[in-house]
Amino acid sequence: MNMDDERTVRRDRMRFIKNTQSSSLCYLGILFNVFYFVSLYMSDVGNYYYNIMIGVSVVYNLIFMLAVFLASEGVKNYKAIYSAILAVLGVVQIVRIFIIPTPAHAAETVVNGVETTVMGDAQYIFIVICLVASAVCLLLAALINFVKCRELAEHMKTLDAQNA
Amino acid sequence: MAELSIQHIDKIYDNNVQAVFDFNLDVKDGELIVLVGPSGCGKSTTLRMVAGLEDISAGKLLLDGKDITAAPAKDRDMAMVFQSYALYGHMTVYENMAFSLTLRKENPNVIHKKVMAAAEILGLTSQLNKKPAQLSGGQRQRVAMGRSIVRNPKVFLFDEPLSNLDAKLRGATRREILLLHKRLQATMLYVTHDQTEALTLADRIVCMSMGHVQQVGTPLELYDSPDNIFVASFIGLPPMNFFDVKVDGDRLVGEKLNVALTPEEQSILRGYEGREIVLGVRPENIVEGADVAVDVTTNENLGMNTLVHGYVGGTHNQIVAKIKGWCDYKNGDTASFSFKRKHFFDKETTNAIRGGK
Repeated sequence: MNMDDERTVRRDRMRFIKNTQSSSLCYLGILFNVFYFVSLYMSDVGNYYYNIMIGVSVVYNLIFMLAVFLASEGVKNYKAIYSAILAVLGVVQIVRIFIIPTPAHAAETVVNGVETTVMGDAQYIFIVICLVASAVCLLLAALINFVKCRELAEHMKTLDAQNA
Repeated sequence: MAELSIQHIDKIYDNNVQAVFDFNLDVKDGELIVLVGPSGCGKSTTLRMVAGLEDISAGKLLLDGKDITAAPAKDRDMAMVFQSYALYGHMTVYENMAFSLTLRKENPNVIHKKVMAAAEILGLTSQLNKKPAQLSGGQRQRVAMGRSIVRNPKVFLFDEPLSNLDAKLRGATRREILLLHKRLQATMLYVTHDQTEALTLADRIVCMSMGHVQQVGTPLELYDSPDNIFVASFIGLPPMNFFDVKVDGDRLVGEKLNVALTPEEQSILRGYEGREIVLGVRPENIVEGADVAVDVTTNENLGMNTLVHGYVGGTHNQIVAKIKGWCDYKNGDTASFSFKRKHFFDKETTNAIRGGK
């Protein structure tokens, strides 16, 4: 192995150093998701949200956080399969914008006899930013892990060939 | 290039207990110095003062001519390896070795090169992804050494690094340290209470007792020409035998002991005619002969040699002889021995008697 070649050294480092870049992005993705659901669940808009969707949303948030945390451990150890899982979860975060926030932003409800917007522009923008940021983090984590996994696999092949 | 000069160093603790008295030593570049002595003799304290982990009460410490007496440990460019390894249990071997460089914010690629080079030297390449708990004691100690090597310090300090290892591993790791020293050609200060380690590793040995330096010299000098009874008894295994004797012309006369002196020995003892001295004889310098009768108590066959323990004919003077080959003395047997090489010590000062001094 040529230790003078910086690229080779960088790849060789991956044999011993965990992929903290991807795992940190996963944690950030979870954090943005927390901001999203806290903002949503804090809304005081009468009984607008009292339906099955909010129940599904709560359960999904729990599953999402668990799945991303597990994936963060996977990508830390350069497991390529977790890139796919993170990519799917990232795309779902974008889709979620259109499931609860967008309809709520367009809807109006009566609170204490006063007709009011369910989700104001500011809250909607905040929630969209949180979900997009969460999605970007997860997709980026997936991409970085995918690239690193490929580089590491190539490097290991080279090492095996040298040792053979 | 790393020359260390320890000048008149004392260590006095807050409770006025003095642990080290006037310690002087010049360590040459690339030299491996072993500080040896029994527990509580001040060797570890001296090492800790050099490392900057203990304040120096008096004296000066110079590294390459620069006064570092008051410099904090981190600025001394020395690396210390402890008996207890002091590894981070939650980090892998690689991370442990890279840790100090990471703290210094060195380039990750440079860190990697240094860690890989150190791992190669220490034979740890296949263990880099393991946690310390998954390693044997010897491997953990090698990791601790690796952590020092990557820093490329001016001086390596070892504080009884092999004490936690079993006898077999201790021997193997000792040889590794010796090879490491030959390879790195680094200045090293090594503390141990094990005289075998001292004799096998050292370029020079500093023998200490009760905070005082007893003798500084090469292993052969300490073994062959000990300056005093302490050094003579501490260096060598089994330890030297001592007998109170009187110089009587061409003979040494003691309790049930009558040993002839060679002309050379007579000249050494010229000023001691009629006086009491201490005769020292190493077990390996005792051979079967006709000078001393010994009542044998135990006979230990070691294969190549036999250790014969007993008392000089009916007295309370214990004697151990290391006889070449296989002997079959039984408890109660009488053996006859002669002394090949003798050491003489002044009874009052306990210093060695050397002719012309």
